[in-house]
Amino acid sequence: MDLRAKLTRLRSMEPPAALFEPPPWAATEPAPDKSERISQLRALISEVALRDRRRMPANIAQAAPATPPPWSQETTAHGPLHVCARYLEPDHHHGHAPVRAALCALPGALPSLVLDASYTDLDLSRALYLDTETTGLAGGTGTVAFLVGLARFEDESLCVEQLVVPQLGAETPVLARLAERLAAASCLITYNGKSFDWPLLRTRFVLARLPVPALPPHIDLLHVCRRLWKKRLPSVRLVDMEREVLRYEREDDLPGSEIPTRYFEFLRGGSPDRLCPVLEHNQNDLIALSALLGAVMKQYAGELSLCDATDALHFGKLALRARDLERARGFGNDAFTHSASSQQARAALTLCAEIEHKLGRVGESIEFLERALEHAEGENGVTAAHLHFALAKLYEHEQHDLARALRHARNTEPVEGPNSHGRRLGRLYRRLLRNAADTP
Amino acid sequence: MPLASNSSRPFSAPHTAPWHAPKGLEAVLQSWQADPRIWSNVVLHERMAPEPAVTLEFPHALAESVRAALRSRGIERLYSHQQEAFALAMAGADVVIATPTASGKSLCYNLPVLQALATEQGARALFLFPTKALARDQEVALHAFLDDAGLQYGAITYDGDTPGDARRAARDRSALILTNPDMLHAGILPHHASWARLFANLRYVVVDELHSYRGVFGSHLANVLRRLIRVARFHGGDPKFIFTSATIGNPAEHASRMLGRPVQLVNKSGAPRGPRRVVAYNPPVVNAELGIRASYLKSTVRLTSDLVKHGVSTLVFGQSRNNVEVMLKYLREQVQRERGDPESVQSYRGGYLPEQRRAIERSLRDGQVRCVVATNALELGIDIGALDAVVCAGYPGTLAGLFQRFGRAGRRGHESLSLLVTSSAPLDQYLASTPAALLSGASEEARIDPDNVEILVQHVKCAAFELPFEDGERFGDVPAEVVGDALGFLGEHRLVHRTVGANGRGVYHWASEAYPANNVSLRSIGWDNFVVIDLERDAVIAEMDYRSTHTMLHEQAIYQHVGEQYQVERLDFENHKAFVRKVESDYFTDAMTHVKVSVLSEDRGGLMESSASQKLSAALGEVSVVEKVVGYKKIKFHTHENVGYGEVNLPEMQLHTSSLWLTVPEAVVQAQPWARPEVIDALRGFGHALHTVASVSLMVDPRDLGHTLGDKKDGDAAPSKGVSSAPGFDPTVFVYDRMPGGVGLAPRLYEQREELLLRTVHLLAGCSCESGCPSCIGPVMQAVPNAPLPSRREIALRVLADLGIGLPH
Repeated sequence: MDLRAKLTRLRSMEPPAALFEPPPWAATEPAPDKSERISQLRALISEVALRDRRRMPANIAQAAPATPPPWSQETTAHGPLHVCARYLEPDHHHGHAPVRAALCALPGALPSLVLDASYTDLDLSRALYLDTETTGLAGGTGTVAFLVGLARFEDESLCVEQLVVPQLGAETPVLARLAERLAAASCLITYNGKSFDWPLLRTRFVLARLPVPALPPHIDLLHVCRRLWKKRLPSVRLVDMEREVLRYEREDDLPGSEIPTRYFEFLRGGSPDRLCPVLEHNQNDLIALSALLGAVMKQYAGELSLCDATDALHFGKLALRARDLERARGFGNDAFTHSASSQQARAALTLCAEIEHKLGRVGESIEFLERALEHAEGENGVTAAHLHFALAKLYEHEQHDLARALRHARNTEPVEGPNSHGRRLGRLYRRLLRNAADTP
Repeated sequence: MPLASNSSRPFSAPHTAPWHAPKGLEAVLQSWQADPRIWSNVVLHERMAPEPAVTLEFPHALAESVRAALRSRGIERLYSHQQEAFALAMAGADVVIATPTASGKSLCYNLPVLQALATEQGARALFLFPTKALARDQEVALHAFLDDAGLQYGAITYDGDTPGDARRAARDRSALILTNPDMLHAGILPHHASWARLFANLRYVVVDELHSYRGVFGSHLANVLRRLIRVARFHGGDPKFIFTSATIGNPAEHASRMLGRPVQLVNKSGAPRGPRRVVAYNPPVVNAELGIRASYLKSTVRLTSDLVKHGVSTLVFGQSRNNVEVMLKYLREQVQRERGDPESVQSYRGGYLPEQRRAIERSLRDGQVRCVVATNALELGIDIGALDAVVCAGYPGTLAGLFQRFGRAGRRGHESLSLLVTSSAPLDQYLASTPAALLSGASEEARIDPDNVEILVQHVKCAAFELPFEDGERFGDVPAEVVGDALGFLGEHRLVHRTVGANGRGVYHWASEAYPANNVSLRSIGWDNFVVIDLERDAVIAEMDYRSTHTMLHEQAIYQHVGEQYQVERLDFENHKAFVRKVESDYFTDAMTHVKVSVLSEDRGGLMESSASQKLSAALGEVSVVEKVVGYKKIKFHTHENVGYGEVNLPEMQLHTSSLWLTVPEAVVQAQPWARPEVIDALRGFGHALHTVASVSLMVDPRDLGHTLGDKKDGDAAPSKGVSSAPGFDPTVFVYDRMPGGVGLAPRLYEQREELLLRTVHLLAGCSCESGCPSCIGPVMQAVPNAPLPSRREIALRVLADLGIGLPH
C-alpha cells in the first residue's frame, strides 16, 4: 500500500482527537477543588460558546464580514499595513493613575528601580511601550505575534498603535514598522518582554528575512514588580499590578487563553469583529503599562505615599540595593510607621539597622537591632538568631564591647552552625579573660 | 600484581607481566580442550587469520595545524580508510564509514571537521550521538584535539543538562555542537532562528553509531534529518553528512535511506588485526524435560576465572547491571580462592564518571587489573584499551552487537580470544544451533521506514512549525503530492492553515497553540509514554511506551528494571503513571494476551515453494491487530514453574500494521492422528519459533514483532483467545510488525519467507529439549511427565512434514 493510500486510511480511521495531542492544560492534574472550579468554568465557557454559536452563522467560513474590520489600511514601502491607532486625552487616567505620570522627570527613580545606573539620563518622552498578542505561549518558530501593540507619547498624550497581521506570512509590514519605532525610541518598555515578547519578535524578524533591529535599553517592568511585590502578592501579572497598584478592575476582559482561538477563527474566515476584544485587551495592557511605570516611579520618588508596611519595606530594600540610602531610610521609617504586626515592625527595624550601618552610623544601627530584637520574640528562633548575630559582630568589632558581644553570641548557633559558633564563643571568652587580666 | 599460584603452573606467564604472556591464552585453550566436561559444550571453535595494517601518508590537502595535532599524538600516517573518508569528504560527498570496532573511526570524521575549521572562516559542525554520555566523552576528546591543532573554537555538548548561560554561548560562539537526536528534534530545530549562525555555516553533520538508529528510532531520525536539511537550507547552509557505523549488512543502503540521497561507503579497514579465536560455549542441559540449561552466568565465571588465572587480560560483557554485579562477586570469590587479588577484577558500567573510567583503564594497562566486567557501556565507542580476551555472557541480540563487543579484543597483534557463552534465551539457543553464523562475516541489515505514515505525519507537523510549507514543496525525498496530502490532513485537524503567498503560491502555516515536538517522542512511535514511579524513592525510574504498558505494567506485574524487581502497586491509566515498589520476588509475571488479527487487505500471496505438497500458502498484507491483556501468570525464576494467576482489566489496543501470514489448510489439520486442539497448539508453538527466527534474521528486537495464530477469514469477531478450537477454518500463523503502520518489517519477512521457514524447521528439529522449551516452540506450562502423547515439538514437525517441509538432507 503506498503512502497516499495509507494516509487516506489514517484519515478515515482515526478520530481527530485521538491522533493529536490534548491541549497542554489537560495534561496537568488539577487539585480536587481546582478541578471542580475548572469543570464549572468549562460548563460556563461551553454555554458561552453555545450562545456565540447561536449568534454566529453555522459556517463561519461563509460569513461575509458584515462590518469593516476595526483597523485601517496604510500603504507602506513593505506593503499594506493594517493598523489601529488611537490618541488618548493628555489627562487620561487608568483607574486612579494618570497615564502622563510616565513622563514625569523624577531624578534617580528609574535607575534605582531597574538597578542600572546607566538609565539616569533616559528620555522617557521617547519611550516605546510594547505588548504583543500571539498564537500561543510555546515560543519557537511556529508561534506568531499576530498583534504588535505599540504605544508612545506625542507631547503629553499617549498614542496607541496596534499593528495587525492580517494573514499568516504577511508580517513584513508589521515588523518593518516595529523596526522604525524601535530606531526612534530611547528605550523599550514591556511586561515580561525580556523572556517572551522580544525573543519571539526576534525570531519573526529572522523568519521574515529582515535584519534584527538593535534594541534600545529594555526595561522589563515584570522584573521591577517582582522585586517589589512578589512577597505580598500571590502573583505579579500585569492585571494584578493593575488591580493592586493602579486600583483598576477590568470589565469583560478577554481571558488570555481565548486570544489564539479568536485569531484562528478570524483567519479561517470569521468576522474581524471577533478580534475587537483582543485589540481592546492589548490596548488596555499598553495603557496599564505606561500608567504602571508612572505610578511606580512616583511611589519610589515619594510623591505617592505607601500605606502598606510590606510595600514600603520592599521599596526600601530595593533602594538599599540601588545604594539610594537616604530614600531607603525614608521607606524604612514608613514601613515601621505603618507596621500592623510585630513581625512587620521587626522587618522594618532590621532594614533601618542595615541602612544605618551602610551609612556608617553604627550606634543607630545597634539601636535599631536592639529594638528589632524586642519585636522578634514571637517569631522562630532563627529570626532572632540573625539579629543576635548582627549585634554580636557589631559589638565585638565596631564597639569593642566584648561583654555585650558575648551575650548576643550565645544565641547565634542556628545561623552560623556549631563549629563557627564555638570558635566565636571561645574567642570572646579568651579576649574577655585577657582584658580581665590586663586590668588590675 | 602477579598471582601467587602462577609459579606452580607450567603454562603461566613470567612473573613480571603475566598478562603479556603469549602462552597464557594458548595454555587456557589447551586445558579446556583436554577437559571433556568443557570441550563437549563448545559448539564452535575457529581460528581467524590476522590482518596487517594498511597506512598511507597524510593527504596533501591536510592543513598544517591538523598535521601538527596528529603528530603531537604520535600519528605519522593514516589508515587507508581514514585517508579514503577524508578524500571523499573533501570531494563534497556524503560518507558512511563502516569498519570494525576500534579501527579509528572517530578520526574519519574529526579530520574533515578540523580541516574545515582550519581553512574556512566561521565553519561549523553538528555532531549527533545516540546518548548523552557519548557526547560528553567525545567533547573531551575534541577539546584536546582542537587544542593540539591550535584552533580557538569552542566545542560544547548541548543537551538537557546544559545550563542556560552555556546554551547562549553554544548558540552564539561554539563552532562544534555535540548533541543527541532528541535534543535536535525538540530543542534546536523548533528554535532554529536562534541558531541561525550554526545553520548558515553548517559544513558537516556527523552522525555517530548509525547502526543504533534502526526501527522506529531510526525512522524518526531520518525525518529529523529531513527537517535539519530543510532548516539549514533556509539559513543558506548545505551540510554534508558523515556517518559512522559498526559492521552491519547494509551500511550504504541504511545511510542513504537515512539521508534520502546516495551516501558513499568506506568499509575497507586499514587497521591491523591480530589472529583471533572464536569460541562459542553452550552450557549443558541439566533438566531435559523442561529444557533447562546450566546457568550461563556461572559458566561464564568459570571460564573467565581460568583466563584470569593464566594472566589473560579479559573483558566480560553482561546483559544487565545485575548480571554484571553477580559475575563480579563470583569472579572475585573465585580469584580469592586461588590466592589472587580480588581487586584485580573490576566492574565498569554506564554511569561511571570519567575519572573512574580513566582509573580503570590505567590500571588495566599497567596490570593492576586483569579483568573488567562491563555492561554494554563499552559498546558505544568508549575506549578501554587493548585486551587479550572478550567474553560475552549471553548473546547481545544481534550479530553486529556481538562483533562490536568481540572487536574489543586483540589490538596488539597477538592472538586473542572471542568467547560467547549462550544463555537459554530463544535467540541464544538458535545461535548455538547454527554457530556458523558467527563466522559467515554476514551481519544483519538495519532497517528503517522514514515514510511510515504515522511517523511522517508527526514530523511534517514539526516541520510546519519550523517553517511554512509551500505548495509543491518536497520533504526530503518525500514527493510533493504526499506532502500535500499530509498537509491537507493537518489542515483538516486545524493544525495548519493555508494562505496564498505574495508569489501566488499556496503556503501552509502552522496555526495552533501547540509545540508539536514536545508530543513526538523519537524513541517510540506512540506519543503518550507512561512513567514508572518508585513509591519508596518517589522518583521516576523509567518510561515505557503505551503499547508495552499493557503487558509490563498492569497491576501486580513484576516489573524488572536494571536487574531489580519491582511490583506494580497501582496503574493510573488516565494519567499515564505506574507506581511500583521494590520487592524480592522469586517469580516474574507473564501477561496473557488475547490477540485477534484480521486481514484488511492482501497485497501479495501464493503457495510456498518449500512446501513440496503445495499446501502451505503465504501472504503479505495489511492487518488489524486487537490485543487485550486478560490476565497474567506468575512464573518462578529458574524453574519456570507456573505458581499462580491473576486477572487484569485494561482496555484493548487496536493496531493497524502489516503482516506476513502462513495458512495451513484445515484438511491437513484434520488428517493428523491427534486431537485438533493439540495440533493447533503445536502450530501456535511453530509461530513462536518463527518469531524467534525472524527477529534474528531481521536484526530486530524480538519485541518489535508480534505473532499469533488465527483465521484470516474471520474478520469481525470479537477478540478471543487466539483461536477457537472449533473446526472449520484454516489455521493461520501471523507474524506482524508491532509498530502502528509498520516500519517495513513485514515485506522483508515476506521476501525471506522460504528461508525463514527452513530455519524455523531447523530450530525445531535441532532443539535438544524433550517436548518444547522457551528456546524453541515456547515454554510448556503444564509439563506432564510421561505423557503418552508425542510432544508439541514433534507434532509441529509432523505437520510441517505433511506440508512437505522437512530438513534438507
